[in-house]
Amino acid sequence: MKDQVGGNQKRARFQALCQSLRPDLLRFAFWLSRDHALAEDVVQDSMLRAWKAQDSLQDEAAAKPWFLTIIRREYARSFERKRLVTVNVDELIEREEPMLAAAEEQELAEMRAALFTLPDEYREPLALQVLMGLSTAEIARELNLSGAAVLTRLFRARKQLRVLCGVDTTLDPQE
Amino acid sequence: MMDCIRCRQSLLADPHDADPHLREHLAGCGECSRYAEELLRFESRLERALRLPLPDSAQRPDAAVVPLRAKSAPRAAGHRKGWLAMAASVLLALVVGGALWLSVPDRSLAAAVVTHMAEEPQAWRRTELPVPTPELREVLRNSHLRLAGGAGIVSYASSCQFRGHRVPHLVIQSESGPVTVMVLVHEPVAAPVNFDEQGYRGVIVPVTGHGSLAVLTRGAADAATVGHIAARVLASIVWTG
Repeated sequence: MKDQVGGNQKRARFQALCQSLRPDLLRFAFWLSRDHALAEDVVQDSMLRAWKAQDSLQDEAAAKPWFLTIIRREYARSFERKRLVTVNVDELIEREEPMLAAAEEQELAEMRAALFTLPDEYREPLALQVLMGLSTAEIARELNLSGAAVLTRLFRARKQLRVLCGVDTTLDPQE
Repeated sequence: MMDCIRCRQSLLADPHDADPHLREHLAGCGECSRYAEELLRFESRLERALRLPLPDSAQRPDAAVVPLRAKSAPRAAGHRKGWLAMAASVLLALVVGGALWLSVPDRSLAAAVVTHMAEEPQAWRRTELPVPTPELREVLRNSHLRLAGGAGIVSYASSCQFRGHRVPHLVIQSESGPVTVMVLVHEPVAAPVNFDEQGYRGVIVPVTGHGSLAVLTRGAADAATVGHIAARVLASIVWTG
């Protein structure tokens, strides 16, 4: 009986954890895949995997990177399964237009379109840093890169994004 | 001494970089300092762009219930709806139960939080300019926490006197407008306390081992939205002691 109560409490805590992280994980999966339907599938399948593997999460403070790792692996698996072909970015933007421009001002829609055109290798660390709040060291661990390589990608990501958004870049440094 | 090129390269990689050499250079270089401010405004726009508005279906309280469906099941399968409805009813019962559980001391805590808000109207300014990272860290340090960044843009941070303790008072710019957050490590509550008083709508949620967290809006968001924001802020807190 005691075990059952403890188990229920543990499940409730884990469920609350999933609930609090889910919106940002869904956003991250969207920026990873640029496809809202795929993002929903990836997050849902990841939640299922996380649910089954919840005992391996020893420290709730580490939940975010733990979930991110599961999502990135699940996304890679879906990519292998579906053998997605490279698509035209304009088509992607057109397809996701309602998601990108929903009831928001024009400049945000432009920024989102610019984010769509960034190469994956720049968009992903940027989303991990800005959206998910990971430090450079945490991003390096997640992407299996050196800290210097992460900083270079983040530098290039913002530099390209600023050009794409038509910002005055005269003070932007060269690499 | 760091030069301008190196300083701007570092800022482009991380506009919130708190490296002391970088901050020292910014303090003494007007052009780089203006560049850093412009970059922070760009960063704020970037963060809002990344934080897409999600469809209601993705934000429902029952959306995170796992397992949601068998891997091969169709998305709108009837049995899933049944599961979700059941889970939603359980969650609703928890929320209502939590609200009914309010004790008198918790009510008085809510009143004190609302009174404190009314005394600092300047904090509610809607702005895209984040508080500099070193300043934010200083405010949070005494309460032994830091924000991992997923919470949103922190536009106001102050260490305030509240019921005999200094507590972090933050304003976070959310998709529903400015939201005030008070980290009340000395004020444990037994269950979530929802309140709607004097034009402020909010919730005080228990934080195991760290007192409670108060989240308020000025009536622009409904109770569910306030709950979502509170959960997001809570998820972004990293306790350091």
